[in-house]
Amino acid sequence: MNPDFFSLKVSEIRPEIKGKATSVTFDLPASLAKTLGWQAGQHVTLRFHLNEKEQRRSYSISNPPGAPLRITVKRVAGGLVSNHIGDHLKPGDTVDVMPPFGQFSLTPDPLKRRTHYFFGAGSGITPLFAMINAVLKEEPHSVAHLIYGNADGENIIFGEELDNLARDHAARFTLRHVLSAPSLWRWSSPWRKGRVDADAIKAAVMETPPVAQDVQYWICGPGAMNTEVNNALMALDVPANRIHAESFGGAAAPASSVTGIAANAKVDLGGATYEVPVAADQTLLNAILSAGLTPPFSCQSGVCGACKARLTNGRVHMHARMALEDSDVARGDILSCQSVATSDELSISFDK
Amino acid sequence: MTRMYHHLPVDAYTSQDWFDREQRLIFSRTWRYAGLAEDVPEPGHFVSVQAGLNNIFIVMGRDHRLRAFHNICRHRGTQLIRAVGKTQKALTCPYHDWTYDLEGNLISVPDEAKEYPNGVDKSCLGLKPASVDIWRGMLFVHPDPNPPSLAEWLGAVDPLLGPHKPEELVEYPDARRSYEIKANWKIVVENYIDVYHLSHLHSNTLHMYDHARAEYGWKGPHYHFWEPPAPDYATNLEKNLPTPRVIPEPHIGAWVPMLFPGIGLGAGEDSWNIFIITPLGPDLTRVENRTKLANASGWEFQKQEWSSWSFWKDFGGPKYPDSDATGEDDPMASGDFTAEDIYACEQQQKSLTSPFFEVGPAANGESPVVRHQQAILDFLETQEAGT
Repeated sequence: MNPDFFSLKVSEIRPEIKGKATSVTFDLPASLAKTLGWQAGQHVTLRFHLNEKEQRRSYSISNPPGAPLRITVKRVAGGLVSNHIGDHLKPGDTVDVMPPFGQFSLTPDPLKRRTHYFFGAGSGITPLFAMINAVLKEEPHSVAHLIYGNADGENIIFGEELDNLARDHAARFTLRHVLSAPSLWRWSSPWRKGRVDADAIKAAVMETPPVAQDVQYWICGPGAMNTEVNNALMALDVPANRIHAESFGGAAAPASSVTGIAANAKVDLGGATYEVPVAADQTLLNAILSAGLTPPFSCQSGVCGACKARLTNGRVHMHARMALEDSDVARGDILSCQSVATSDELSISFDK
Repeated sequence: MTRMYHHLPVDAYTSQDWFDREQRLIFSRTWRYAGLAEDVPEPGHFVSVQAGLNNIFIVMGRDHRLRAFHNICRHRGTQLIRAVGKTQKALTCPYHDWTYDLEGNLISVPDEAKEYPNGVDKSCLGLKPASVDIWRGMLFVHPDPNPPSLAEWLGAVDPLLGPHKPEELVEYPDARRSYEIKANWKIVVENYIDVYHLSHLHSNTLHMYDHARAEYGWKGPHYHFWEPPAPDYATNLEKNLPTPRVIPEPHIGAWVPMLFPGIGLGAGEDSWNIFIITPLGPDLTRVENRTKLANASGWEFQKQEWSSWSFWKDFGGPKYPDSDATGEDDPMASGDFTAEDIYACEQQQKSLTSPFFEVGPAANGESPVVRHQQAILDFLETQEAGT
């Protein structure tokens, strides 16, 4: 990455969603086209001098490669830079811009045949919008599905552009809006009300299952949404290497490897109750076996379900839960071979 | 001196060596048809297919994405699963109960501590991945986990295959057939793409289409063909179609391509059919047919049957009149174009072993036959250069 800043002239300022966001397009001289080239999904760092201090911010590029260099900035309440861009920046001004970079990028390939699912919320659309356009333009055998969450119909960035894409590429692009607070008078009914959550994701995938089987999932929203979408996809056995995510505001904190804590477990087994100490690195099954008891178990890999027990008090973390349905988990069923304690007092029963 | 049949030696149609070579270098190295997409309708469902030397199975995960693996347990090689079925979330080999998840990871080795006191590295013993994709409503598998995409393989010929959307049509189960032809697979392909024979062998069975106006050609090893309806049929075409339309007006005609190797399609205004050719031996070939029709009500079908009745009631019949037929089951008196084709293929294969066989000049309408032989030679050469 080139750490230098380049001074670029603003060629166009366009307010989005009634001025709550601003698209800024830059003049890119041919001599800088290569240095400032980008992949769909990448971002640029801008440098401003405001309040006598240097301010740096990164914004996703909202156009695909080949189109003008453009960023789209949503106002942050009280935000110094985003409001400066919205209120004061005008065509002809110059801004210092660093070469685009970022791991969250989609490189279209005309010979690839992929199904891309995009999950976005709010201004998370900006990199996704670039990616969707890149796929529709440069990857003719692939399809794109966008599930896009917003508060209401008035706050959909690129709403009209997306409608046009859906109309012009009906066979290759589907657009579904999820609105958390739809206003009654404008939006009769979005695809779903609520948030881009596990249920919405499941419904979307079932409604438009992949045809092209090289499937990629792209997520961009606030940290909490990213975590939720990621977890929902993992729960559907989507391999991690097919999931690509970037969050804005607030960090996503995926807890990949959970270790347990030492605990005391009350175990109901064969009509009797036993007190079993569980070490931090021990599964419940191993702790119970170490105590000389004989609970049911078999595969020890979370597949068979033989070691299933009911958690009646306390909390555990399961490394894997292949043998359980979501409804089993909701009822409190656990796989003792896959469970470590995450609270220091537990009660489980093999008799229920 | 090698006896030739146009570009290929006659041996290519009769010898075990050629058969083995084609199995190894063609049918084990290309995308193979593996069924219709609806054969694997839901998570947990699977299907297996023999693709040249490889047996590959396809299973749908909970994310509705298909996975393909070589159907070989990594322990002693036992085939893991049988033809079709449904699993929950894991696949277990019947022999020693080694168990894999739907990503192909080996997740359970029974009595692991006792049987493998020095440990067994399960992470190195996952199922070997293959590739799967869906195209025009059909499942395709490739033995390589990173093959050229179907877009790369079929992209150029795709626009010439008709405006059909097979995924929106419904299978007509009565038309599903599988039968064997006592002839080399290339004889069956060549018959399929021989334009010259249409007006002759099928003089009384396929004349609703105008063979003289056929347009055909090649995109790489793939053959494409289209012909318009014959004038009699085209007058009142909408009335004459035996079943409801499957493509929007004003599209008309029959699209009958042959994709490499041996994947025939046959689609018209009112139906979409597949003709899958699988070599079983040097002189034995299996053909599988499936048909899809419009997703329309029984009433729509009934109306179309009535409206087309007057066209079809006197249409067609046997190639030879009864007086010339050898008996009731003579294919030449069947009035069935498939029976006519099978007969022609088998009669041709019989002559290939005769020391007196000598091929005559290829007609214009047989140029696809010669071109297909060249496609075989080219493909074999590329593959042999690569190994």
